[in-house]
Amino acid sequence: MRGTNRVALSGTLLELGRLRYTPAGVPVIDFRLRHESRRTEAGAERAVSAEFEAIAFEVQANLVSGAAPGSALRLEGFLCAKSRRSKKLVLHATHIEFVEGD
Amino acid sequence: MKFLRVALDVPLANLFDYTLPPGLSAQAGDRVLVPFGTRRRVGVVVETAAETAIEAERLKPIARVLDDAPRLPRDWLELMRFLAGYYQRPLGETVASSLPPRLRSLRELPRATERHYRAAGSAPGAETLKSGWKRSLLDALGAGCLAEDALLAPFGARRAAARTALRALLRAGWVERALPESGTRFQPSHAPSAAQDAAIERVAQALGQFRPFLLHGVTGSGKTEVYLQLVARVLARGGQALVLVPEISLTPQLEARFRHAFPDTRLALLHSALEDGARTSAWLEAARGEAGIVLGTRLAVLTPLPRLALVVVDEEHDASFKQQEGLRYSGRDAAVYRAKLASCPAVLGTATPSLETWYNCQAGRYALLELPARASPGSVLPRVRTIDLRRESPEQGLAPSLVAAIQARLERGEQSLVFINRRGYAPVLACEACGWTAGCERCSARMVLHAADRRLRCHHCGAESAIARACPTCGNVDLTALGRGTQRVEETLAERFPQARIVRIDRDSARRRAQLAEALAGIRRGEADILVGTQLLAKGHDFPALTLVGVLNADSALVSTDYRAPERLFATLAQVAGRAGRRERPGEVLVQTRYPGHPLYAALARHDYAGFAAAQLAERRAAGFPPYVSEAALGAEAKQLARAMQFLRAAATLVAPPEEVRIYDPVPAILTRRAGLERARLLVQSPSRSALQEFLRAWSERLFAVAPRDVRWHLDVDPIEFD
Repeated sequence: MRGTNRVALSGTLLELGRLRYTPAGVPVIDFRLRHESRRTEAGAERAVSAEFEAIAFEVQANLVSGAAPGSALRLEGFLCAKSRRSKKLVLHATHIEFVEGD
Repeated sequence: MKFLRVALDVPLANLFDYTLPPGLSAQAGDRVLVPFGTRRRVGVVVETAAETAIEAERLKPIARVLDDAPRLPRDWLELMRFLAGYYQRPLGETVASSLPPRLRSLRELPRATERHYRAAGSAPGAETLKSGWKRSLLDALGAGCLAEDALLAPFGARRAAARTALRALLRAGWVERALPESGTRFQPSHAPSAAQDAAIERVAQALGQFRPFLLHGVTGSGKTEVYLQLVARVLARGGQALVLVPEISLTPQLEARFRHAFPDTRLALLHSALEDGARTSAWLEAARGEAGIVLGTRLAVLTPLPRLALVVVDEEHDASFKQQEGLRYSGRDAAVYRAKLASCPAVLGTATPSLETWYNCQAGRYALLELPARASPGSVLPRVRTIDLRRESPEQGLAPSLVAAIQARLERGEQSLVFINRRGYAPVLACEACGWTAGCERCSARMVLHAADRRLRCHHCGAESAIARACPTCGNVDLTALGRGTQRVEETLAERFPQARIVRIDRDSARRRAQLAEALAGIRRGEADILVGTQLLAKGHDFPALTLVGVLNADSALVSTDYRAPERLFATLAQVAGRAGRRERPGEVLVQTRYPGHPLYAALARHDYAGFAAAQLAERRAAGFPPYVSEAALGAEAKQLARAMQFLRAAATLVAPPEEVRIYDPVPAILTRRAGLERARLLVQSPSRSALQEFLRAWSERLFAVAPRDVRWHLDVDPIEFD
């Protein structure tokens, strides 16, 4: 795998799509994530706030589909354009962990 | 010396000459066993000749004359000659392909049903017989028709003498051969309306002479009742009726109506899905004259019928009457020709005549019979409206007002039909990340997604594969199903109306005939609330509780390059619309479209076939299309398109066409690749049918002579499909 595209992010679950299946039968779920943290930048600490569109497949999809909005989670994955026609980024979650009261 | 010209089922264009050995007699129409190469084959004597071009030492005698089926009659051989000549196929192949396989095999055929006899209607002088064998026989037959065995059995040991007396009675005309169970009892379901009566009378007056009729009756106008009444008259005269229907799926319903109306009459059913044995028996019953009614799909027109007195073609406009391989004949046109040979009327029935037939009517060649109103008391033609998809955006393919109309039917306990002429789940499997779509490896077409068994299928060549888990170009797993077919519409409706009983009818849901018949019967009994289906649901069915028809995806035919597309679309929509409101409750038809002002939809809403046909004919005339010209197409298939095109270019120069015949440049087929072969075609047109025929005769002879091995070709006379 050439090139770097790695994201690690924590956040809370905002919205959850319905668990759906690809034509070949692979479970998929679309969801939104809210991230809030403090980061150091240019010598100062600042507040960071962002919302992400995310997607998960297979085991990860099943895992997310069982969670309630507001749940805290940490995920790892990569970024990819939504489709050929849209440059919007979507976070593809390849690893998801639920965390207690972060 | 007499020579026999024999048609054999071998891939050679010519007939084969044989000699007649001493002690055998044979004539045209006899099936004969002949030596051919190292084997023996069954062939048909097409003609006898006094001379042959074959040297005497190479001529062989026939081995045997088969007499387990009636000799093929003269008019049947005449039909074969016509078909072979008109459609440019070898006579031998035409004869062979028209007979059920068993008639061409060495296996012995089932025996004819036993002879039956009855007392002649008038037997002047018979009353002078006071006693004796003849009197006893006449008395026995006084009670009705009897089989030979039943008639002679009481005579015990003196059977032979009784048989001699029977022969004498036959010669005297006091007793005649009868057909077993060939009663002509007729049970009409109701008295014909005035319009039906007028149509019946006009055809009845033409019985005994050739006269083609177009029975133009709106959907639900009772065309079948007209057929039944006419068949009753024909049976009463001792004739046979041939009734053709477009699809096997329609035969059970019509068969039931005929059996009910003619409980004592033998009915032979003929279609391509019959087992070999059943097809052979039905063919024999027809050819032996035992069956009074022969009901079947286009191949039934090729059956010998010794007493043919009426030909009916139901849904005459249907494209399935045209055979698309081998002898590419039109079952409808062959039926009219048969009526001509048999000097009997031909009735072509439909709500939406083919433009060819309509044109023939206007030219006075066919007589027009109109049934302008529905037959069932209180039933009127449905109200047809368009739903403008530019104003109303559909959700999952269904416009909100269509969904609301279905909801209203559910509440009233009535049935709805959602018509979409595309089976499968979705016509395209696509990757939205990179633009890939699943294509067929052997055709220039996309694979259709079938959700029920998770397969991709090519609707052109039948290729199948598993659904890719990920895009083969970019690896994206989230592949998308684009567009919709019956399965997806069914799914959407099931989500929207979870309580409704939904039945899907298409070629996948009804792979076997029995399944389809069962599903249709269930619908008639009211065991479904919403039907989703393709044209399989559109034709001929009578569902009493159905009051709403929704049409999806009709627009695709409006933008087709095929000049016949509007004609077909109008026919399909008029047919499917005709399913609605066939009883007291009025029907409604909603057509989803982006072109709500299109003249085709406007004509449909007015139930104005004549107006639509006039506009189409004007366009055809202006553009120089059939029926104003006659056409033939030379199709070629090869591994490479360039080769097919090259063949066609060379073919175009084989015979110089006369002035009235125009040969167009070859063009690649719209579906260029199919089943691994690349296809092109060349069109030949002429305002004169006879000039075209004359050219085709010379041309096909040259084509058969030069045909290269690496190109498959066929000549299609009066082609109707340009895919």
